[in-house]
Amino acid sequence: MLDTTRVQKELVECNRDTAISGVSIDLHDGANLTHLCGSISGPLGTPYEGGTFIIDIQLPSDYPFEPPKMQFITRVWHPNISSQNGAICLDILKDQWSPALTLKTALLSLQALLSAPAPDDPQDAVVAQQVFLSNLLYILQYLRDYQKFVGTARHWTETFAKNTNKNEQVSKLVEMGFPEELARSVLEAVKGDENAALEKLCSG
Amino acid sequence: MADDEDFPSSSDVEEPEVGDCYLSDHEDDIAENVLQDLEDGRQEDCNWSVTSVITKESLLAAQKEDLRKIMELLALSEQHARTLLIHYRWDVERIFELLEEKGKDRLFSEAGLTMNENKVIALSSYSDPFTCSICFEDVSPVAITEMDCGHCYCNNCWTGYFIVKINDGQSRRIRCMTPRCNAVCDEAVVRSLVNARHPDIADRFERFLLESYIEDNNKVKWCPSVPHCGNAIRVLGDIYCEVECTCGMQFCFNCLSEAHSPCSCIMWEQWTKKCHDESETVNWITVNTKPCPKCHKLVEKNGGCNLVACICGQAFCWLCGGATGRDHTWSTITGHSCGRFKEDQTKLIECARRDLYRYMHYHNRYKAHTDSLKQESNLKETIQGKIVISENKESRIKDYSWVNNGLNRLFRSRRVLSYSYPFAFYMFGDELFKDEMTSQERDLKQNLFEDQQQQLESNVEKLSMFLEKDFQDFSDEDVMENMKHVINLSSVIDRLCKQMYQCIENDLLYPLQRATHNIAPYKSKGPEKASELSVCWVSNQARSTKTTKMDVLPNHISAVNASGTTLSAKRTRQFQAASSSDESGSSRKLSKNESIGSAPLFDLNMPAEVIDKS
Repeated sequence: MLDTTRVQKELVECNRDTAISGVSIDLHDGANLTHLCGSISGPLGTPYEGGTFIIDIQLPSDYPFEPPKMQFITRVWHPNISSQNGAICLDILKDQWSPALTLKTALLSLQALLSAPAPDDPQDAVVAQQVFLSNLLYILQYLRDYQKFVGTARHWTETFAKNTNKNEQVSKLVEMGFPEELARSVLEAVKGDENAALEKLCSG
Repeated sequence: MADDEDFPSSSDVEEPEVGDCYLSDHEDDIAENVLQDLEDGRQEDCNWSVTSVITKESLLAAQKEDLRKIMELLALSEQHARTLLIHYRWDVERIFELLEEKGKDRLFSEAGLTMNENKVIALSSYSDPFTCSICFEDVSPVAITEMDCGHCYCNNCWTGYFIVKINDGQSRRIRCMTPRCNAVCDEAVVRSLVNARHPDIADRFERFLLESYIEDNNKVKWCPSVPHCGNAIRVLGDIYCEVECTCGMQFCFNCLSEAHSPCSCIMWEQWTKKCHDESETVNWITVNTKPCPKCHKLVEKNGGCNLVACICGQAFCWLCGGATGRDHTWSTITGHSCGRFKEDQTKLIECARRDLYRYMHYHNRYKAHTDSLKQESNLKETIQGKIVISENKESRIKDYSWVNNGLNRLFRSRRVLSYSYPFAFYMFGDELFKDEMTSQERDLKQNLFEDQQQQLESNVEKLSMFLEKDFQDFSDEDVMENMKHVINLSSVIDRLCKQMYQCIENDLLYPLQRATHNIAPYKSKGPEKASELSVCWVSNQARSTKTTKMDVLPNHISAVNASGTTLSAKRTRQFQAASSSDESGSSRKLSKNESIGSAPLFDLNMPAEVIDKS
């Protein structure tokens, strides 16, 4: 059975310095320790900056002797992450897993992966080709046209990783009495700047 | 093959097997000379392989020898030697080479072997309660274990980890739990920790380690018998050989399918595939049928003019396949014209037709000989009956071993003959060697080969005829006459088989530029019977652990002779090659291999004194 004491200790340890590390773990549904929900903030200076990425974590019964199963729930444009299902191509989640690693270190590794994609690492590329054929597209794009890659990645971050944020802004404006559709379109137009949106709504 | 079991073991009816090593004598075909040759050290064939059967019981003894070599040379404990051997696939010679090339440290670290001399001191330094970084619990220093690499965790965590790894089938290479630590865990620690919690899993671990000698070893393979006999076969020397396991299974050691020489493994694989799948049926269909344009059923034209009617009622033109009306004369269809000649299509059909006939030619002959072999196997019992009658009859002739010898020769040569057809199919066809030969070369070689094949074939049929005679009713003179024919034909056939193999190896396969095809060498007595493993040139400890059987000693000695003579034979061969061009008797297979890879200079399985002498 799952070693719950270790998992509980890990949760406490990880959530103690969330502000500094930028990673946190919560229970997915109340009491079940085998199904967790991790979140990492997009690293600064990358196209993922400002985004919050949610990761689904399933713990096998032999955890920590077997790796946790991790998958991005938030859609992300990245050479080592599937755009279709969020599957992650990272060695420490596969054969290089070690029981001495923790959920926190795994999430930190994911954060590092976001800031340093490894499209030209031959081993990763081979694995990536085998595991996600669709990812070949990103690798090519990443290598050939870095700017374009950054643009797409940033766009995806805006659209998917800041969604919760945007919804909050919309509901705030709706509470002020503006119709929802209008609020959404104005927010879109000013690229999420709350004050500018309010000004525009009031003036228009 | 099922009929293998019907074969008498050749040692029952022929001279006793002398050595583990295959010997061929070019001067005579009489097997007594084998013994003489061996003693004289005259051995010309370089395709030697020593085969032995490894049973469940002898598995440990089989690997002890390799372990001992590594332990002695590198001053290692048994578990470290095993770790090293598992990583380098039990290739002792390779380890010695790498030791020269890379040095001890890299050799060890690549295999995940770390030596920690300070282990005892280091462990004692953990005096305070120790926090295990896996379970985050504080544990007393007695409940922790440090691996050779210096990493230390609590016994509980180690055990859980080992069990998961063993259940995953990774017993042979359980690494330390520290991230990126390459060290392989000490098997003694694994054994004792796991045994304390799950003795059955510890047993499994033990078995996996033992079986590594078979699974991770190019020179040892499981016997492919179904149901499995539990044995494995070890081959030292040339791995292109045919072996008979003690369970009676005869197989090709390289590809583990039935013994198929003179076909190469690639040819045999393709041939069986071709015979099984429907590709030829499909070929027939494309050549002989056309689909109806309405219901798409395939229609075969069974005569008449080119207006064909499908059973669905649709009429169509046989020439172009297009739907037509029903009005027609003998040569034209009303309102339909497809006189335009389509060359490619005709060509394609022609090709398919030719290929099909070619395949049928070879397959029919292959099948005919295989069928004869089956029928002749039934004949065996009848013949045994005849022998019994003859032996009990008033006659001067009491020895009827020639019948059995002839019968065995018949079976073996039938087999060779039947496999020679798929060989010819690929050798002179386009599928494997399209660009290897010009068509003149091909014709020349094909004629050469087919002459030999035909000679063999006619002699085999003759032998079959003489063996089927009712010799129990013959007068003494006629029996003598018959015996003479059988003995003569047997030796002629043996020689012809050998010539054919040599022709195949030296004239047909050896000159190939692009592909390398190896065949098992011709064995006059059929696939080599693997001998029960004897614990050879044992260290004293191994001798005391294994109860020495009576047959161990002669085996042992003959094996020394065999490998010893191989060495001298090799040298003699080189000398001969330099001094004279008359080398037709020996095969070029091994020398070709030698030129490709850097073959080891001496055989490590020989006792030191033999190596020293050379």
